[in-house]
Amino acid sequence: MTRLKLPDIAIVTGAALGVGAVLLTAFGNPANSGICISCFLENLAGALQFQDNLRMSYIRPELTGFLLGSFFMALKSKRFNVTGGSSPVIRFFLGFFIIIGCAVFIGCPIKMVQRLAAGDLTAIAALLGMMFGVWLGAKYIRAGVFLDREKNLPKINGYILPLIGVLLLIFLILKPSFILQGETGPAAQHAPLLVSLSIGLVIGGLAQRSGLCITGGFRNFFLVRETTLLYGIVTFFISAILLSLITGQFHLGLNGQPASHMGHGWTFLAMTLVGLASVIIDGCPFRQVIKAGQGDVDAGITCFGMVTGAAVVITWLLRSTSAGPSFNGKIAVLTGLIFCLVVILSYRKIPGKR
Amino acid sequence: MDMIHKLTIAVLVLLTAVTLAMLVQHQVSTQRLPGTAANRKVDLKKSYELIIAKNAEIYGDVVELSQQKQFSPAMEKLQEIIAVHPENSMSSVYLAQLQYNQGQIAAAIHSYRIAVDSEPDYVDKKTPLFIGDKIMALITEARGKLKREKKLKPNDKAIDLALEDVYYLQRRIAGGCE
Repeated sequence: MTRLKLPDIAIVTGAALGVGAVLLTAFGNPANSGICISCFLENLAGALQFQDNLRMSYIRPELTGFLLGSFFMALKSKRFNVTGGSSPVIRFFLGFFIIIGCAVFIGCPIKMVQRLAAGDLTAIAALLGMMFGVWLGAKYIRAGVFLDREKNLPKINGYILPLIGVLLLIFLILKPSFILQGETGPAAQHAPLLVSLSIGLVIGGLAQRSGLCITGGFRNFFLVRETTLLYGIVTFFISAILLSLITGQFHLGLNGQPASHMGHGWTFLAMTLVGLASVIIDGCPFRQVIKAGQGDVDAGITCFGMVTGAAVVITWLLRSTSAGPSFNGKIAVLTGLIFCLVVILSYRKIPGKR
Repeated sequence: MDMIHKLTIAVLVLLTAVTLAMLVQHQVSTQRLPGTAANRKVDLKKSYELIIAKNAEIYGDVVELSQQKQFSPAMEKLQEIIAVHPENSMSSVYLAQLQYNQGQIAAAIHSYRIAVDSEPDYVDKKTPLFIGDKIMALITEARGKLKREKKLKPNDKAIDLALEDVYYLQRRIAGGCE
């Protein structure tokens, strides 16, 4: 059997993401939300009672699938390297603010591509915002901004996140009384467990091998004109658009799009925050989950920050609705951008200075 | 492997076994208690049945008068109900229907918006309260009319607000994770 080379595996991952996302919607996930890390984390926070919106409370098996798919693939391919210790508190809060940015747009970068592929033109502002944020991040990298280097850690540190994944799966199956599951709203809209888990595992495994990341693809292009991951993103978009057309999920337009709003300026800013923060911590929310599965403890810390953010966006009313972004959400996005810039200034290594 | 290591592993195995046994025992014994997932579904179904029965009782007269096309008396009756049950979001639904029947399309759409904001189940296909199809039919009809009016009166703020309500309701009915 011939082994897939890196460019091919990025394209295969992109295709799997596109097909998986649209299929999950067809099987029951909310419209245009086949795969959305920020929505899934909000659901998880609700299921664990970190937030109190029962309509947004469900342990999404896809999330566990991504984590465990990456874990098993990393073990199989001997890429399970346990590292960490690179500015954990900074990473926690950047993960926190990334989810706030996603919540103001209503979707993570993966969902942004899916929304575009389903004809949602309101996501164009998000794409432009994210690209601007990534471009800005790339400029800062060139100017000497990067977080400190990670260290090797004892193996047990790397097993914690995959173990949490297994535990969540057990909770989902056994449904203990302290785990909530909404019977109405988005929580009630989900594909069958085995379908969600299988798609999650496959995509998780492929993403571990390819390193596919939405912000990473653009960053590599802006930084060194490297297009491997970008081809994966383009494939994701094309496969999702084709399948959306086939399954009748394509509705071109600005109005009447599921879970969208017309606050384009705030969408742009929110996704600028997501793009910029993702470049600093080296990966979009999806990539953070995949990295957490392959032993990256720093990404695990980011995931904890993202879960905290996912709870807070609901309890503090930071999340946008179809009516538009909330005042609290707008302030949170600006605070997130301020935080990013302070981090950037603090970590900048100016040439010639000690 | 020294004695301390062996002992620690033994205790670890024991603790794991005891924890698992306790969890399984607890899971089995609480399966039929209220609050478990299976019962939560049944409870929810019952609560919807109760809401529907209660609403049928409260709004019976309004429905009857509307069916007889006596819209003004129906509106008067509805106002009395709103005074007694200000918290019931179904009033906004009936208000919307009456306003629509009296030709007040923009007001009807706004009342539907208020109804959906206070009870998201009205646009949730998985609940028996779902009326998204009815709202969609109304706003589809209204959208065309409002767009034509907008061309005639481009500076009319009321038309802009009505169109905003239409697009908002469209987004809500389209679903998504909200």
